[in-house]
Amino acid sequence: MIDPLLEIDEFDSAKNEDSPEKLERRRPRTRYRLKDDTGFDEVPKKYRRFYRRWKGKGDSLAPNEVICPVCRVVIRSTRELRPGDRVYCMPCFSRLTVVRAESGRLEARVVY
Amino acid sequence: MSIEGVEIHARDHEGFLEEVHSFEFWFQSVVGYLADHPYGVDPKGSIPDLSESDRNALIATLSTYCVGEVAALEGASGMIGFAPNRHSKIFLATQVVDEARHLEVMLHRLSELGVPDAEAEFEARANPNLLAFRDRLREFVEAKDWEASLFAQNVILESMEFAAFHLHMQTADARTAEMLAGVLKDERRHMGFGENDLGRHLERFPQARTRLREIKKELDALVLATFEDSQRALGTPASERGGIGRLYLESVARLGFDK
Repeated sequence: MIDPLLEIDEFDSAKNEDSPEKLERRRPRTRYRLKDDTGFDEVPKKYRRFYRRWKGKGDSLAPNEVICPVCRVVIRSTRELRPGDRVYCMPCFSRLTVVRAESGRLEARVVY
Repeated sequence: MSIEGVEIHARDHEGFLEEVHSFEFWFQSVVGYLADHPYGVDPKGSIPDLSESDRNALIATLSTYCVGEVAALEGASGMIGFAPNRHSKIFLATQVVDEARHLEVMLHRLSELGVPDAEAEFEARANPNLLAFRDRLREFVEAKDWEASLFAQNVILESMEFAAFHLHMQTADARTAEMLAGVLKDERRHMGFGENDLGRHLERFPQARTRLREIKKELDALVLATFEDSQRALGTPASERGGIGRLYLESVARLGFDK
């Protein structure tokens, strides 16, 4: 017998549908090897590969990158980012959560 | 793509805060961009020739920046005495050193521009709105008012300076731009500390927003006018000058002062 309190998803047909969001969450994340090759020099050497400067017009964000809304540095992760992920901006001491903006783009929001 | 071993973003928040507020973190950060750069510039770089009008505009602007740096130097050093915890005290101690360096490199650049006694003259040349702001910040610090001091100095003044220096770098001569680039890297820490520390404080004491909103109303005009005037003197087009306030306005919106 299935306990409905513990296995509520089993009874929720809507939740069982393979929505695009659910499928995306199930897909394994792409992993990235970060190199200290961006010239970013504002944090201790061992952390420099996790950040780079936004180059302005013509620059774009990779799936493992978001912009810090506080100081505008590009934050990099060793894995593809998804909504709900936490990232840290070491140059400005911020803790951030990744969200999907209305535009569909991934953005970071400050969590104090 | 292969898997990287260490993920900085997986660490706990307490450990992150402990590290970024440490003297060790500050030292390992600044050594990356200050080593072998006396007065914040490459010693092999040349001193550019400027027209008389460009030189005069730059002298006036750097004089105003000097007032901002002295205000932050005195403010940060005074705040150490009543900062609520060790993290803040150590961070402010590093900010004091940063501000002292900023003042020194700007005075050095003023002397390169031919100002005979830059230290004696910068206040007389500076923007009166910033002098009024500095006086108000002093009052907050003398009253040992942590919320107001942190807000005025590390949120309002630092985010304005960050935006103004960033904009100025786009049009400045190469030597001034290089000096400002180093200052800007320090400002990232100062304004980030301000927003995040105040943000955590307001989560615990949301009622403080009411009083800080009043302070914001009073100080907004002074700082916005200061940097607007400086950018006008430097010849920054009006369409770009609006960008100075944007960073600050976004910061205060995140802190909930726009509601």
